[in-house]
Amino acid sequence: MGNTKLIQKNKTNKILTTFRSQRKQSSSGVKTSPRESRHYIRGGGCPPRCILGRDPPPTTSMTPTSVSGFTGSPRAPPPCNMSAPMELQCWRGDWGLPSVEPGSLTVMAYAKFAGAPLKLQRTNNPWWTPTGSLPVFKSGKNVITQPLQILDHLRKQNFNADYGLSPKEGADTLAFIALVEQKLQPALTHAMWLDPVNYVELTRPWHGEAIPFPLNFVLPNRMHHAAEERLRQMRGGDADPMEEAVQSEIYAEAMDCLSLLSHTLGDKEYFFRDSPSTLDAVVLGHVAPLLLAPLPSAKLQQHLKGLDNLCRFCQRILAQYFPQDEQDGPRSKNHQRRQNEPAGSPSEGDHEPHKLRNQLLSLLVAVGAMVGYALFHGLVTIERVGGADTDADIPTEMYPDGGASDDDDGGDS
Amino acid sequence: MGSVHAKALEPIPMDGPEHHSAFHEGSMLDDPGVETKQEVLDNKQVLVQNVSIQGLERTKDDYIMHEISDVFNATSLVEVMQKSHEAREKMLRLGIFRHVEVLIDTAKGPGAQPDGLDINFEVVEMRRLTGSYNTMVGNNEGSMVLGLRLPNLFGRAEKLTFQFSYGTKETSYGLSFFKPQTGCFERNLSASVYKITGQFPWSSLRQTDRGVSLDLNFPLWKTRHCVRWEGAWRELGCLARTASFAVRQESGHSLKSSVSHTMVFDTRNASILPTQGLLLKVNQELAGYTGGDVKFLKEDFELQLNKKLLWDSVLSASLWGGMLMPIGDRPSSIADRYFLGGATTVRGFSMYSIGPQSEGDYLGGEAYWAAGLHLYTPLPFRPGHGGFGDLFHAHFFLNAGNLCNLNYEEGPRSQLARLADGLRWSYGAGILLRLGNIARLELNYCIPACVQPGDRICDGIQFGAGIRFL
Amino acid sequence: MLAAESLVNQMAAAEPWPENAAFYQPLRGEQILVSDAASCLAVQAFLRMCSLPVYVVYRPNAEQMSPSGKVPFIHVGNHVVSELGPIVQFVKAKGHCLSSSLDEQQKAEMKAYMELVNNVLLTAELYILWCDDTTCKEISRPRYGSPYPWPLNRLLAYQKQWEVRRKMKALSWASKTPEQVHDEVNQCLRALSLRLGSQSYFFGRQPTELDALVFGHLFTLLTTELSSDTLPELVRAYPNLADLCQRVERQYFREPGDETTVSTEGSTSSA
Repeated sequence: MGNTKLIQKNKTNKILTTFRSQRKQSSSGVKTSPRESRHYIRGGGCPPRCILGRDPPPTTSMTPTSVSGFTGSPRAPPPCNMSAPMELQCWRGDWGLPSVEPGSLTVMAYAKFAGAPLKLQRTNNPWWTPTGSLPVFKSGKNVITQPLQILDHLRKQNFNADYGLSPKEGADTLAFIALVEQKLQPALTHAMWLDPVNYVELTRPWHGEAIPFPLNFVLPNRMHHAAEERLRQMRGGDADPMEEAVQSEIYAEAMDCLSLLSHTLGDKEYFFRDSPSTLDAVVLGHVAPLLLAPLPSAKLQQHLKGLDNLCRFCQRILAQYFPQDEQDGPRSKNHQRRQNEPAGSPSEGDHEPHKLRNQLLSLLVAVGAMVGYALFHGLVTIERVGGADTDADIPTEMYPDGGASDDDDGGDS
Repeated sequence: MGSVHAKALEPIPMDGPEHHSAFHEGSMLDDPGVETKQEVLDNKQVLVQNVSIQGLERTKDDYIMHEISDVFNATSLVEVMQKSHEAREKMLRLGIFRHVEVLIDTAKGPGAQPDGLDINFEVVEMRRLTGSYNTMVGNNEGSMVLGLRLPNLFGRAEKLTFQFSYGTKETSYGLSFFKPQTGCFERNLSASVYKITGQFPWSSLRQTDRGVSLDLNFPLWKTRHCVRWEGAWRELGCLARTASFAVRQESGHSLKSSVSHTMVFDTRNASILPTQGLLLKVNQELAGYTGGDVKFLKEDFELQLNKKLLWDSVLSASLWGGMLMPIGDRPSSIADRYFLGGATTVRGFSMYSIGPQSEGDYLGGEAYWAAGLHLYTPLPFRPGHGGFGDLFHAHFFLNAGNLCNLNYEEGPRSQLARLADGLRWSYGAGILLRLGNIARLELNYCIPACVQPGDRICDGIQFGAGIRFL
Repeated sequence: MLAAESLVNQMAAAEPWPENAAFYQPLRGEQILVSDAASCLAVQAFLRMCSLPVYVVYRPNAEQMSPSGKVPFIHVGNHVVSELGPIVQFVKAKGHCLSSSLDEQQKAEMKAYMELVNNVLLTAELYILWCDDTTCKEISRPRYGSPYPWPLNRLLAYQKQWEVRRKMKALSWASKTPEQVHDEVNQCLRALSLRLGSQSYFFGRQPTELDALVFGHLFTLLTTELSSDTLPELVRAYPNLADLCQRVERQYFREPGDETTVSTEGSTSSA
């Protein structure tokens, strides 16, 4: 179904795709089977950026101890890691966003910018993850949960969106990321998880829908408490994030931060130069949810809508790099659909696979039980023949929903 | 068996409904149906032959023996009744029995003598674990208080109590163990661990105390004494960002380790609204010599005199005073200083709102005195006399007091002058209600007559509730 | 709330800087820890850059006195303001500002770099102090509990340790290895070094609050003895940053006659 459509769509980027697969011949070019290729995010509808054509900047006078710098000279890709498929478990998208969660969105955007073949699994289930939160990045034995560390990892894998940056711009990137993390993120967390109106009317029902069945009664509350704890600790132990004074301080700082970002962006298309880099991904990750989430109580959103260039920046990047998600249609339509089928999923595309997934899941459980029974009683014995085959198959089997939800990406387009 | 009719019931004190019932359920039933053998036993010599106690399960025999042994010494019937009544009171006081009933009967069985009596105590022990639950609403705060009590833990009236209060703002708890000496309940030892949180809006102060204390209580001649060691970690903080800087400076942690001694001489006939008697209470506390970083000597006293006048009215006069002397060069902490004012002390002033203050936050003082003169009368026209109405009284009062800091380099005369200088006094009248035998409520109309700059007065109607009143 | 704040600011603006403005910090000798010392030094440097005189008062309970629970704080008139950010705002309301000559772009950059320092250097200092077991045992806990008698010294130190570790967990720093922390610090220092370049201060010839903040942290790291030398070594690897520290110290902390402002009034309560 969605398969063919996706391939058609990808034709438009064919040049770019082939370009890249040449570059990473050792990795994806060899490994990718046609079946798997549809899971990869290809560099969406971005203008063909001549990444390879640009010379890496001259290495600066930095000390050799530099780590994963934003200006980093391209490193020799470690071939062993390259062979491991990279996958990202994240929250699914809505409201015209490819993912509703800032961390997931940041990583997805960066992967698009850098052209990293990232397999998305919109599990919507942070129950089994190491830190109890999403996104989780897996590549071979590497499991990373911090969005910024994921970007570091991608950079080390030579998927670097920051080739073009001067050392100073690299430093600025680091500083502005700190600004966003310290000033904007708390407000975003507050608006989504702690504002009582937003939490009850939007965040909780949304997550209740998105998270698979029994856990959706537990997880939203757990995430709410985690958000509260995080905010409390960021502001210092005594400050109660529900207190009005603290709250208005958080929002005032966030508004300040948004204005600063808007000033820094100015009339430029991207924060640095004419191609998107890490900072663009981080800003997008934090600003786009704020802009597009239909928050019932939206002080910050009002302020953000006054900053035209920042809004246009988000819309532009979303339109260029995540075109299929734009076709969810305007928000009002979304709303309507949500109201029409309160128990169902927000978009048609999601609706089908959910059903499919549930069926698949129950089937899997039944088959698993039978196979387990058989194995346990020695009715069947298994001999391991070769490692390569199983390696390739395990991920798709372990996450049966991954393929399904990616289908909807294709189906929507 | 025929019951005996005793004429001399009057001398036996009968205060309290519990005691009253004892006589009805006891042997002295005024049963007109059985008048076969009526005899005046007033001064007849009797011999207590057997004392038996029924219903003892956990309580150890040796412990209870001490409480009732006095009954054997009775020689006349009146004495027997008196002593057994006292024994019953003593047993109830232990707090380990729910009911105690006394049965006096002529001796039976082998070896019974003609003038022999058997005394039979029927008791019902408390449950192993009793619990209580109540909710309290205070100033801007509600809390839930959960209490657990293990009476008679090891069979000798030991008691373990746990109280946990979970409030909307603060939580407090206390765990205490109580162990009386066998044969002398008044001589006892108790140890407790506690955490108390308090909010004092008059000082914009929040205080959290965590501590341990050890108390030794013992009677000596006509006085009761308590020697106490207390180790407390006190955490002070501002209640709001707007707290004055003087209070802000007091914020932080301190450790107090103190030894204190209290002597109480009490001949009053009730602790709430007594009609006669004298109370003298002297307390001294020495902190800093057993550890900790707070060093001071604190002395205070409380004196109350009650005199019954005509028409059931009572005149009561009280005087309180206290002094805190910091030792060393560190100034005294707000947590140790005295506070004065409010419906339970100097009426006509707001709660603890007398004396030194900074930006509206009262800082307390190192010395104080307060005096009160009350005239308690029954309600006019005595509505509900002999019943519910007796719980109400009217009173007229005159309160005075002062709270200040002393400069110890000056002589005692100038200190006294300073205490007399900033005098506050007020007068008024009101209605008060006795709640059980522990607390009282007051509704007063107060007229402050002499105030000092900075005091917060409470002119007109003032409501007060408490246990200890000036 | 915002209206109330601006009202307070207006009121503050109406009053000139008083003679008796006081600056509160923990005891310098035996109590203060690197993270607090850095924050205190940063605010002091900032006030000196603004040439606003303050009396420095050392109090063992400075942390508890502070309205935000963090040191340092200043007591000016009726106002108590803690931490660098609010103090900068407060001082600005009084008409003293170091960054008024910057354009919007530079102001944005300055704020971003300040957040970088707070985000990385301050958190790393806390990490080293309270998450590294050796430092914790040998330096942090004994020093933190030093003003208190036994057993309060132990209790409070463990309480603090627990709090900081909880904070680190919430900020997802708890799972980091010391090497990762050093990497973060190094990355931050490199960014600062690149931003500074060969200028005397971050934004030209005049210092800003960013210079004060960077000075506070780096100078403290360079001059404080920790259980390992890694952090000072990292700082020394960037000569222009070390130069900045020296420059600020020479210019603002070694003036003749500045002894009057660094009086030790109020340290009596340390007994």
